[in-house]
Amino acid sequence: MTTLLDDLLNMEAEEIWKLNERPDADGLRDKEQIYYEDVNEGDELPKYIYKPTPTHLFRWSAAIENFHRIHYDLDFGLNHDRNPSILVHGSWKQSVVPQYLKDWTLPNGWPWKARFEHRAMLVPGDVLIMWGRVTSKYEKGQMGFIDLEIGMKTQDGIESMPGTATVVLPLRNGPPIPYPFVPPAD
Amino acid sequence: MTQQAPPTALTPEVQAMVGVSGDVVESWGVVDGEYMRRFTQALMDPDPRYWDDEFAKSTRYGEIITPPIMVSYLASRIRPDQGDPITAAFEENPESDGIGSVERPGELPPVPTNLVRVLNAGNEIELYAYPSIGDTVFFQNRYSDIRERLGRDGTPFLIITRETRFWNQNDVTLCITRASTIRR
Repeated sequence: MTTLLDDLLNMEAEEIWKLNERPDADGLRDKEQIYYEDVNEGDELPKYIYKPTPTHLFRWSAAIENFHRIHYDLDFGLNHDRNPSILVHGSWKQSVVPQYLKDWTLPNGWPWKARFEHRAMLVPGDVLIMWGRVTSKYEKGQMGFIDLEIGMKTQDGIESMPGTATVVLPLRNGPPIPYPFVPPAD
Repeated sequence: MTQQAPPTALTPEVQAMVGVSGDVVESWGVVDGEYMRRFTQALMDPDPRYWDDEFAKSTRYGEIITPPIMVSYLASRIRPDQGDPITAAFEENPESDGIGSVERPGELPPVPTNLVRVLNAGNEIELYAYPSIGDTVFFQNRYSDIRERLGRDGTPFLIITRETRFWNQNDVTLCITRASTIRR
């Protein structure tokens, strides 16, 4: 049972960090399937907590070959772009989204689609909470579609990435989700 | 005295850009395990489907897979035959922001508007298949939508959506990304 987002936002940053539900490799290896029938409107997904440091930002810049100085050059960020610090990458946040949806739908569901906006500037020292909540569900083409509200909030409750997503879960007695994924015809 | 309506930003020339596509681009190199190791560690995704060959074979995918939208970054790698755009950017401007005027293959022609201020308006991703190690990735950009909105003061602005489709050597669509920008 995940800690509710509203409860997390009433905690101190260190308490939030202790409730991080990001799975390790074994957790992902042994992940049990969530079926369509298991899910109800209003359910919350596990909370992934992050505490990005300048080193994390540098590692992401290097990994994707993004050389924009606002992400690793503090002097440039403060004095040239007048930012509050070096900034967490939007590209990192938007890569967490499909990871988060993948993990929740493993092993046989599908993280179909998401849309989101980048709003607040995130900086090292922020504690970030990736969250999701079920807004509706429906069956189509013998698959279970789950609509979600998603986002990444700071410990202060500022929403930095409001969005929505749709994932596909298998029906308990249904056929496998097609792979590569083929959405049902409208 | 009649008030004059502000001129539209969605001119026929701007509207004509919807559907305009860039070149089909074959990404440099292939989807490789070392790029993925760095990517997944930086993403903090320890999924064994990315690195445990034996386990990956037991999954529905039957092989090592790679993260869903990793190809969208891999595809923008600077090609080794492209020179050194970083050094060039600082030669041109010692105060360069680090991305300078790096040219990316497959770019779209600019939208003919005098609205120059650019703001991020949102992103969309659609996933269809996980890229495999060794895949060759192709991509193509296109303007999928351009619409006009009015600001609070009645001044028109544009929302421009650029869609990019990524596919592999077997013509399997891997993912589609859309990035919308506001032009004021």
